[in-house]
Amino acid sequence: MMGLSLGEKNYIKGGIADDLRCDGRRRLDYRSIAIDTGVIPQANGSARVRMGSTDVIASVKAELGKPSSYRHDCGKVSIFVDCSPTAAPMFEGRGGDELSTELSVALERCLLGGKSGSGAGIDLSSLKIVEGKMCWDLYIDGLVISSDGNLLDALGIAIKAALSNTGIPKVEAMPGTSAEEEPEIDISDDEFTRLDSSKVPIIVTLTKVGRHYVVDATIEEESQMSSAVSMSVNRQGDVCGLTKRGGAGLDPSIIIDMVSVAKHLSQQLIATVDSEIYAAEARESSA
Amino acid sequence: MEYVSPEGLRLDGRRPLEMRQINAEIGVVVKADGSAVFEMGNTKVIAAVYGPREVQNRSQQLSDQALVRCEYSMANFSTGDRLRRPKGDRRSSEISLVIRQTMEACILTHLMPRSQIDIYVQVLQADGGTRSACINAATLALADAGIPMRDLITSCSAGYLVNTPLLDLNYVEDSAGGPDLTVGILAKMDKVTLLQMDAKLPMHIFEKVMQVAMEGCRAVAQYIREVLLENTKELEYRRGL
Repeated sequence: MMGLSLGEKNYIKGGIADDLRCDGRRRLDYRSIAIDTGVIPQANGSARVRMGSTDVIASVKAELGKPSSYRHDCGKVSIFVDCSPTAAPMFEGRGGDELSTELSVALERCLLGGKSGSGAGIDLSSLKIVEGKMCWDLYIDGLVISSDGNLLDALGIAIKAALSNTGIPKVEAMPGTSAEEEPEIDISDDEFTRLDSSKVPIIVTLTKVGRHYVVDATIEEESQMSSAVSMSVNRQGDVCGLTKRGGAGLDPSIIIDMVSVAKHLSQQLIATVDSEIYAAEARESSA
Repeated sequence: MEYVSPEGLRLDGRRPLEMRQINAEIGVVVKADGSAVFEMGNTKVIAAVYGPREVQNRSQQLSDQALVRCEYSMANFSTGDRLRRPKGDRRSSEISLVIRQTMEACILTHLMPRSQIDIYVQVLQADGGTRSACINAATLALADAGIPMRDLITSCSAGYLVNTPLLDLNYVEDSAGGPDLTVGILAKMDKVTLLQMDAKLPMHIFEKVMQVAMEGCRAVAQYIREVLLENTKELEYRRGL
């Protein structure tokens, strides 16, 4: 990203203070979101989300695995984000690792709940095949193709769309195997169960610039931020995860205010995202 | 597995000398100086070009020409089995090198001394012929960035199975164990800039297979020219010319 001159910085900060941002949006307006599902035919589910110039792809792959020793009846989910150098030259080689790790961990915190598995957006027990022996491992991969700010929100939407597009093959376990043997299973090639993604939360990031917060910041606005709060909210309005980024300190009352603003915005965003996902799936099935 | 049926059809229904469907789009990554998406059948590749810009590493600066760098990476989900290491493995390094050398030969680097041109190629879906798709995408992206080039470089792969030369192998045909030949040509000058082959072939058959691959390259060049012409007309229209 090119450096910003002092004049440009003042223009951005002044615009945000006056509720008129560089692209004409108001502080709490999102850019238009375009969602395409089924973009990666080899994956079990996939989606591509474009918000302005930000372009991300999420894919979900299901592989057979063994459940962990302390959660016998659940499958496993892992999220991994990769920042492609096509988005910015600084992501070349290992340059994008720091941002990739930050995004992956933030997404895991928001979508997968605590260590005990409580509060997870995906019902892990639906991924069980044979208790204690075999389960589905879901690998959610995100790829950032073009970055113009607000990557966390875009990835959250892409993952939600990819999960709603995911079909897990039907598995039949052969009965009558003893406790030590590997169970024999039959994986169906054309019968799929859709994953239930209604509880998957979406992420709303509020970026504080000066004394005001903006939602869906562009990369120039993010460079002027003092701090940012990313919150994941589900359809019921419950807060599922919270991350504060940035070095500046925030008064606790401001954080509470940001949380309530984010909750309010999330309901509209969830409605928009759900209708876009529905339209995308309709386009995919008719294509 | 019957790679070529008795009627002369391949596994995906193509004839031996038939290429897969190609599709290209320019200007996909708005932030890059030039970018393109290139699809050959199920293989889908994005290329983005940043440059000419100031050299990041002063010690690598060349006083009389531009420095061309390239990185090839595959997405985690691009292959059938999920990849653990998107970049840094030997195959990726080798392909990065190949693309860099091929494109460097055709960019007029002496016009942009002391600068750097970065070509980043990202594979979204791999189904055979990724090397060729990357080179074709890089050509389009360089053209979109307005970087002066000697000629368009196009590339295509070919193989030899069941005593038949086959054009544009997909992943299944590539893994069959027969020879896999990748050719890159300078389109108008009709000169070969890239030639790689594995496995073995008798000389007279090699010449046949290479001719087949070069025909494929020419067909891709024809398509790329159409795409660029279309793009220029669009730009003219937007400028009100």
